[in-house]
Amino acid sequence: MEILQIKDLSFKYPEADKKALDGINISVKKGEFVLVCGASGCGKTTLLRLLKNEIAPFGEKTGEILYDGVPSETLDKRKSACELGFVGQNPDEQIVTDKVWHELAFGLENLGVEKNEIRSRVGEMASFFGIHNWYHRKTDELSDGQKQLLNLASVMVTQPKILLLDEPSSRLDPIAAADFIATLQRLNRELGLTVILVEHRLEDVFPVADKVIAMENGKVLFFDEPRTVCKKMKGNPLESGLPSAVRIFNSLNVSDECPLTVREGRNFLEKNFADIRGAVFEEKTQIERETILEAKGVCFRYEKNLPDVVSGLDLKVGKGEILSILGGNGSGKTTTLNILAGLDKPYKGKIRLNGKKTSDYKGGSLYRKNLALLPQNPKTVFIKDRVDEDFIALLKATGVPASEHESRINAVAKRFGILNLLDKHPYDLSGGEQQKCALCKLLLTQPQIILLDEPTKGFDACSKLQLSGLLRELQSDGKTIIAVTHDMEFAASVSDRCALFFDGRIISQGTPESFFSGNSFYTTAASRISRDIIKGAVLCEEVSQCCRRADR
Amino acid sequence: MRAFSSLHPAVSMLHFAAVVAVGMFSTNPVIEVLSLAGGALFCATLTSPEQKKKDAVFYVFMMLAVVITNPLFSHNGVTELLFINGNPITLESVIYGCYMAVTAASVMLWFKVFGEIMTSDKIVFLFGRLLPQISLVLSMAFRYVPLIKRQAVKVSRAQKAMGLYSSEKVVDRIRSAVSVISVLIGWSLENAVETAKSMKARGYGLKGKTNYSDFRFTKTDFCFVFGCLFLLVITVSGMAIGKLDFYYYPSITAVPSDIYSLICYAAYGLLAFLPFTFESGEMIRWKYYKSRI
Repeated sequence: MEILQIKDLSFKYPEADKKALDGINISVKKGEFVLVCGASGCGKTTLLRLLKNEIAPFGEKTGEILYDGVPSETLDKRKSACELGFVGQNPDEQIVTDKVWHELAFGLENLGVEKNEIRSRVGEMASFFGIHNWYHRKTDELSDGQKQLLNLASVMVTQPKILLLDEPSSRLDPIAAADFIATLQRLNRELGLTVILVEHRLEDVFPVADKVIAMENGKVLFFDEPRTVCKKMKGNPLESGLPSAVRIFNSLNVSDECPLTVREGRNFLEKNFADIRGAVFEEKTQIERETILEAKGVCFRYEKNLPDVVSGLDLKVGKGEILSILGGNGSGKTTTLNILAGLDKPYKGKIRLNGKKTSDYKGGSLYRKNLALLPQNPKTVFIKDRVDEDFIALLKATGVPASEHESRINAVAKRFGILNLLDKHPYDLSGGEQQKCALCKLLLTQPQIILLDEPTKGFDACSKLQLSGLLRELQSDGKTIIAVTHDMEFAASVSDRCALFFDGRIISQGTPESFFSGNSFYTTAASRISRDIIKGAVLCEEVSQCCRRADR
Repeated sequence: MRAFSSLHPAVSMLHFAAVVAVGMFSTNPVIEVLSLAGGALFCATLTSPEQKKKDAVFYVFMMLAVVITNPLFSHNGVTELLFINGNPITLESVIYGCYMAVTAASVMLWFKVFGEIMTSDKIVFLFGRLLPQISLVLSMAFRYVPLIKRQAVKVSRAQKAMGLYSSEKVVDRIRSAVSVISVLIGWSLENAVETAKSMKARGYGLKGKTNYSDFRFTKTDFCFVFGCLFLLVITVSGMAIGKLDFYYYPSITAVPSDIYSLICYAAYGLLAFLPFTFESGEMIRWKYYKSRI
């Protein structure tokens, strides 16, 4: 039975010349898990928000959205609030109250549910989601993963029939994200809840979905089962976001069923490419580099009585190198970056930049043509209402003469293709655009070393590819780049060297090939798929390259 | 394990108001000393040993300062002890200084304890009873303050790591603070739009909103209210008929010590020591339970 029907839906934002949505026809059955994917700006978020009248964007709408046979505009408000649950992208922005228990009760309070019933429903949800351990905590003290779980739970207390999620896991680290998706799957399987999920991290989600909607420029490109969509997607730019098994399958001309998971991908290779077992993907040779930044025996803790966050860190970074530091959540990676950037002062150990101690760079000279840090959230980088004004403020503060401002800004902006963004408000930009502008701002200080904290957080596959390209380009200019990241695929594709951070220091490091093929869990999906057959291949392209070579 | 804090918020509030109001309106030195002792002991059960040392030093110095400064500025009183620059230092004003020091310290201690006990959700609950709209506003405020603070730190660090206003000069620090504040306004507006959407999506604005709280009024609470009111009535009646009157100027009167006054002292003493005894009793009971684990 259809729970949701979308008929000829078109939508145009006020003052936009192009339709954001164009002739959408979809019907969703009760209990289905529907995944909506597409490049940034393809209209997937607009579509999702239109489904729930309270949060629908303003604009011209034609066509119909029927929920349970009733058009969304005439749907009873109480029913809509109750039965259509919505969870958005940013975990922080959706939390309303200061305590976990109050947040859980908020939706029921609004519906006017009586006290004892609230108590039992909240209690039930808290135990279902495993929230009982932090039920009395402040919402502010939670990790991002916990916050997002709380957002989901506080929507679930009103017992919705359909759950709308807008990139809920994009701001989470991979482990928290996988947990979140697993919870969604559980809700779908155990409670029969209909789920409509907009997502661009597809590795974990594709195998779970019943139906996939692939969108492009406001139109539905495909609406079908995951395997069929995967096959149809071959050659489409969206393909780069698909699960690794699919990408490997699509790059090889084998007529077989499309694999979705790591297990299926591995079986697929075993079946079709057993003859190349033992093939070796040759490692990139590492160039000897002169050391530019060196940390020796660095120890740091936030407070006297707290344990060390960084203890005995030794690290050497070569000039012109791209180094990725990987590690679990809360392991101290970001702190390490802050220490290297001179924001946090270690109580023991030394950091040398070009042979000189960083503590000896006085009065901000450390940040003049030496190093610069791009924080996790690019929003924190901007302090003015326009991107170009923001850039000028930085140049002024660093003592660049006014006559040079324009030429400097234009040179950087042209290179990154952000000339059209210069007159915009930074907050009006998409995440990828913000990141680009932030990176431009950072380059205006002409640093030798660029430190990046989770540069791909919230990025879709295309933006990631673009960022890899940019970093490579910066490297060819002689810049040294140190990135802290959770994104193993990104680290594998862009780095010269990867390092694993654990227990306050770096415990292993090597070229991406040796690093990732050595790890069995902390590694890319492509490596997990291919490791039995091909040695040292960690990216999808590397795997298919080896397979194709065998074909010839 | 904090027994007193597990009482119903209205009860904690009543007790606090009773102790502090009597302590502030009465001028009787016995009442003041009882209030200070009760507050200090209760405070001691809640704080760590290190904090206790710090607090002790702070309060002693603060009290000394009040005791010393009052006679220098107030020259009321009839018993002159000595003259400084031709101004008399009187015994009465020294004693009055002591009274002020004790009162100030006791009120501060009680407020400190109150802050520990009355967590944000209790305040939200209490005000929610009076004005339901206020409770949500308060709760949102308690949520926003740390959020904005954290964002402020992030923004200023982000600027610093790009070399903007990164020197230690005062000018740079002020500039940095100004730019951070201006950007935070935009950021919080942006944030508020999303929060408003999230509220609307969850049915905020529908008719008949209820207020949920986890606080239950138990038998202990009832006993506590009854006890507090009983003790308070005795003390206040004593104050009303002048059994606790005490004057510092022009000359010090005798401390009232007839039977009625003594009963009042006992009543107020019980009231002031109630949290401490409650807490210690629980602690002992807890130790006993623990020994059986």
